[in-house]
Amino acid sequence: MSVAGGTLVAALAEVVGADRVRAAAEPVDGVRPRWVVAPTTVEQVARVLALAADAGLAVIPRGSGSALGLGRPPARAGLVLDLRGLDRVLEDRPDDLTISVEAGLTAGALAARLGARRQWLPVDPPGWRRRTLGGLVATAAAGPLRARYGTLRDLLLGVRFVQADGVVTWGGARVVKSVSGYDVPKLMVGALGTLGVLCELTLRLHPAPDVERTWLVTVPDAEAAAALVAAVADSTLEPSRVELLDAAALRATAAPAGALAVAVAFGSVEEAVAEQGARLEALARAVGGAATVVPDFWERYDAALVAGEGEVVLHVASLPSHLAPTLAAIHGAVGALGPGAGGLVTGCARLGLFRVVLTGAEVEAAARLVTTLREAVAPVEGSVIVHAGPRALRERVDPWGPVAPEVLALLRAVKATFDPAGVLNPGRFVGGL
Amino acid sequence: MPLDRELLDRLGAVVGEDGLVTALEGRLVYECDMHTFYRGMPDVVVLPRRTEQVQAVVRLCRAHRVPVVPRGAGTGLIGGAMAPRGGVMVALNRMNAILEVDLANRCATVQPGLVNLDLTRAVAPRGWLFAPDPSSQMVSTIGGNVATNAGGPHCLKYGITTNHVLGVELVTGTGDVVRLGGKTAERPGYDLLGVVVGAEGTFGLVTAVTVRLLHAPEAVKTVLAPFRTIADASETVSAIIAAGIVPAALEMMDATVIRAVNAGLEAGYPEDAGAVLLIELDGPRAEVEVQAARCAALCRAHDALEVRVARDEAERALLWKGRKAAAGAFGRIAPAYLLQDAVVPRSKLPAIMREMEAIAARHRVRIANVFHAGDGNLHPVICYDDRDPDELARARAANDELLRACLAMGGSVTGEHGVGVDKAESLALQYGEADLHFMARLRRVFDPDGLMNPGKLLPAHPACGEGFRPARPAPPAGTWV
Repeated sequence: MSVAGGTLVAALAEVVGADRVRAAAEPVDGVRPRWVVAPTTVEQVARVLALAADAGLAVIPRGSGSALGLGRPPARAGLVLDLRGLDRVLEDRPDDLTISVEAGLTAGALAARLGARRQWLPVDPPGWRRRTLGGLVATAAAGPLRARYGTLRDLLLGVRFVQADGVVTWGGARVVKSVSGYDVPKLMVGALGTLGVLCELTLRLHPAPDVERTWLVTVPDAEAAAALVAAVADSTLEPSRVELLDAAALRATAAPAGALAVAVAFGSVEEAVAEQGARLEALARAVGGAATVVPDFWERYDAALVAGEGEVVLHVASLPSHLAPTLAAIHGAVGALGPGAGGLVTGCARLGLFRVVLTGAEVEAAARLVTTLREAVAPVEGSVIVHAGPRALRERVDPWGPVAPEVLALLRAVKATFDPAGVLNPGRFVGGL
Repeated sequence: MPLDRELLDRLGAVVGEDGLVTALEGRLVYECDMHTFYRGMPDVVVLPRRTEQVQAVVRLCRAHRVPVVPRGAGTGLIGGAMAPRGGVMVALNRMNAILEVDLANRCATVQPGLVNLDLTRAVAPRGWLFAPDPSSQMVSTIGGNVATNAGGPHCLKYGITTNHVLGVELVTGTGDVVRLGGKTAERPGYDLLGVVVGAEGTFGLVTAVTVRLLHAPEAVKTVLAPFRTIADASETVSAIIAAGIVPAALEMMDATVIRAVNAGLEAGYPEDAGAVLLIELDGPRAEVEVQAARCAALCRAHDALEVRVARDEAERALLWKGRKAAAGAFGRIAPAYLLQDAVVPRSKLPAIMREMEAIAARHRVRIANVFHAGDGNLHPVICYDDRDPDELARARAANDELLRACLAMGGSVTGEHGVGVDKAESLALQYGEADLHFMARLRRVFDPDGLMNPGKLLPAHPACGEGFRPARPAPPAGTWV
């Protein structure tokens, strides 16, 4: 069966309303879609997907649009599915520390609601407030709080999604503990919408701590930073965030100047925050560092780290035991970018993760840097993922990096099972899935 | 159907004669797990020592179209580690080495047959631990914990097994060895590790596991609070969670269990209590002190008969003794029982407890309760006399009704034991056809021939069959040309 263009638009308009279908004005990562459709219910998403699948149109789901440049450029783009209209809170259970929401709700809106009752969803990648929860899940986005609370992988309890052919599907549970069947929500975290369009999310919440206070420990060098992170890990301290900041990052956050620093936050009752802070100060002195309490640190950190237009953002995964050599490799590679280019390095030091923002880098030079860093972290089976950057860079190097062939075969089999026609975000994911 | 001689010979060649159990009396011990209701004897048991042997076994079985059933300690409660269709059971107990402890990266890599507690014992002298602590942890294997995504009392704060598994080596149903996840915290691709954990061996056999280790907390404080009624205790649990306190463990026992436990050992629980709450807080000392005081105040505000705080490790062990002995004490309650593992949202605890009383009265059965109250994970013990068929029928009816009541409150049919055969049909109560269809197709990605632990985890429902097509939304009328 096929549908003529005009007829398809009419059908889409009948599903979502004429005012919620329009011709696409902007390309998505260089590919021009035909329409932008903005459904407001799961049922509408399902009907739009069924129409698109039958018409052979590729569908690009979007939330806030902050990650439309993530991954490879799309192979095709028929319609953009704008999910911001799915922004309701469906079921709020404050006493259970869970909430079910639609995927288009922004993390900022959720935080405002939860803050009023001293709860939070501890997920804080740069710019998180403006991003939709569905987008955060689809991109497995995480920030400094992952050091204590894990990622959305640990917080997504249940998910309602629409498969490529329009079938509405539910996975997981609405309770904090369930092992009934396969853990389908995990499959959806970080899948970039290539297996289903996320529509409803049931999330585990945490109580917000009475107090959270942040110590910025400036250290003389990477070895001292690594020693401090290791000392904190091998102690009974329970930090909520352990972030590394290099000199450029310190400047950007208007924090006390230094070559390198580790920001350590403790969230608990006042007595425990003060007591842990005192112990941290002693550990800092032992590695030749100096600790200062910095108020409102994370707001500034967040604002400073949102990538600007044209900037390249890399996620480098290494190991805590390789903090110093990995940082040296990153700084060495940034230094080799050439005149006018620079980089800013932060990251969850506790987990050996780095976030590198490159400015003013030529595509060729940035591509060389990515390749160099992949070689640097290969011995620890690490990865370098290009999270943002010009399309030319992501055509020049695979933004995802290598995946073992036998694993790639399984990824392909999963995609072929659930989206054989390549309706959902075709081409963007790992291996061009 | 007995296996053909050629397959047996080739299996023997892979694992060696001492790694093969063929005699009936040898195989008998493998015919069930702790849910002895379900029995199925394997045609042969193999005991491999290395991944390559497991891979060779899977490939042989695939070539001969013979089912493969993995088994660890056999302490599961769902009929997962038995062979209802016969075939080859792969007992992984000989693969029990700790391959690497990497404290700098807060992880360890172990073979699947390693006993859970042996890992913590190995790292405890250096102040570390492996968090998942199912009641069976003294005997159950980490491979089994991974297969069932096991929980335990302390998963309230620390999460269940999946939150502690960083990577696995898996021999898939096609006999390929893949490594999913690993020590690094981010990697490209779908989170296949996330679906392998809890797959109960239906995706293949896990032959190595990299797990996260945690530093032991600075302080632990255990509080015991008896209440006059189970309603008071349930309200207290909800109040603690609502107050923003997530204890490490928050356990409840009802009067029946209290008496059974007291009869067996000197646990010292008050005999007149309708329920006992066991609350454990751990973390930085100052935090634990403040939160313990807040919990104690909440207990008193909900009319606790007393609030006992353990002053030292010996007292703490004593308070836990009764809870840990509860499973063994069931035998004093009734000759036989059904153990349920359903979940309700924790705010619904008072409601489900009232409902449970009504169900017990309606079906004239006794239901004892000992469970992980903090996360709403119920373990009702439905007692019956197995010499009385009518009582068994009533127990099963009560069990079924209870499950439906939990689902009606937005719960789940299993919180930590898993699905196996015991809950397979119940999945159809919790999920729709499209949801089951999705899971069944995911299974076929890893096991296209349907040979890996067949008959477990998914119901024998049309939606799980290959030819099924779930309903799609209808297009608007008149749009088709």
